[in-house]
Amino acid sequence: MTNSKVCVLGAGSTKYGKLDESVIEIALNAAKDAIDSAGITPKDIQAGYISNVFGVADKQVHMAPVIMSNLGISHVPGLTIESACGSGSVMFREAFANVAAGFYDCLLALGVEKVTHTGTVRSTTLFSYCSDFFYEGGNGASFPGLFASMARAYMNTHKATEEDLANVAVKNHENGFLNPKAHMRKKITIDEVLKSPVVASPLKLLDCCPFSDGASATILCSEEFAKNSGRPYMEVIGSGRGASPAAVQGREDITTIPSTVAAARQAYKMAGVTPKDIDFAEVHDCFTIAEIIDIEDLGFFPKGKAVHAVRDGATRLKGEIPINPSGGLKSKGHPIGATGVGQVVEVFDQFTGKAGERTIPNAEIALTHNFGATGASAAVHIFRKVDRK
Amino acid sequence: MMEELSEKEKTREKFIEAANRKKILAHRCNKCGHLMLETVLFCEKCSASKFEHVELEGSGTVVTYTIQAVAPEGFEDAGSYAWVVFKVDNQQLRGSGFLPGVKTPSDLPIGMKVRVAGYDPKHGLILQK
Repeated sequence: MTNSKVCVLGAGSTKYGKLDESVIEIALNAAKDAIDSAGITPKDIQAGYISNVFGVADKQVHMAPVIMSNLGISHVPGLTIESACGSGSVMFREAFANVAAGFYDCLLALGVEKVTHTGTVRSTTLFSYCSDFFYEGGNGASFPGLFASMARAYMNTHKATEEDLANVAVKNHENGFLNPKAHMRKKITIDEVLKSPVVASPLKLLDCCPFSDGASATILCSEEFAKNSGRPYMEVIGSGRGASPAAVQGREDITTIPSTVAAARQAYKMAGVTPKDIDFAEVHDCFTIAEIIDIEDLGFFPKGKAVHAVRDGATRLKGEIPINPSGGLKSKGHPIGATGVGQVVEVFDQFTGKAGERTIPNAEIALTHNFGATGASAAVHIFRKVDRK
Repeated sequence: MMEELSEKEKTREKFIEAANRKKILAHRCNKCGHLMLETVLFCEKCSASKFEHVELEGSGTVVTYTIQAVAPEGFEDAGSYAWVVFKVDNQQLRGSGFLPGVKTPSDLPIGMKVRVAGYDPKHGLILQK
């Protein structure tokens, strides 16, 4: 028997940043928050979906059974999914599909990462393994370098400037300043971005998200399960997946990410909404240029126009389409296995009155977008607030 | 069958061998004529798997690039360099490689000519202006 509607009943996150705990302890802290938030016990959980990329850096792969065992439910099957920086959303999609298919009525969907203890140089190398290494990492491109090449192509095609990119960083740090769980909880100025050290031209340090540790978790369930709980919840009304050539060189147009376009098209169609219906969005801003490309590919702005919209304030908390109210990857942080789930946690917090000063009033429909590597894989989800009154 | 598999596993080796002769190794689909880099095993357009090997002149124009101010592990001793995406001359095919000696964007305008200079086990596909 299938479940025609899939809901998010609970959500929780650790703080993102440099964390001392082991990768498993970080995961369990987020799991406990999500379980408490849903008002369930581990005995209600029928499966565990876990996203993680660099568990090996903390001496733990095959993570799902370890997490299940430490939640006291070792008999519950788990699965660990990797899709680079998009692992969280890709895993969430598989969890969603399994509830929709009727295999489970309640499951844990959790993303976790711990990488900062390896240091910046080693972390940079580990991340480069997410590229098409023979053509990219192996020829000297770091991840900032790959996105810098996309930034140069975009700036050349659309006559955008480094200051246009810096506007994204300033806006996301404004939002992240209001998020107690953000890694980089500090306001910054355009001047500070432009004067920060160059990492890979034209991108500078403050165009880049940080390496972060952290975990985020959600409880996904059937509508019947959610209704019976008597607690606030939201419905997943759209889900899409997309793919792009793994290497940047394989793309005819380097100023767009085909996986985003495909995933968004599917998600909008499933949800029966258009970009104009979205009240706010959490998008994949691993670098400032990524957010510019994302919000055009998601249909919020025409190609080449996002930089003007950002400059005019359209994407700020009180703008026409707030983008990354959580602070995004840029300020909230980017624990890559957790990031896509963390975006869902932000939507849940917004819809259930837990977003504090960054609350977007009267928001009812929101979108999350998260991709792996330079967009080789991507997933988009759309959520609707369920009014329990 | 074993021989065929063994041959397929060496696509990167063949690509590298051609790069050392300053060429780009590609293959053209026998069925639809689409041209791909040597490392792709099925046609991107029609999924056929029979190809004609094509050695292209290793020359092209810069599509985009970055200058890696912070070099990744293995490239710390490479000096100032660019990672470059280039379009192969007279083809729709694009490649990417390592171009040493680039310090500022004025050294490398988009559209500039680059050539394959060889393949270095440490730094990958080496380009030169």
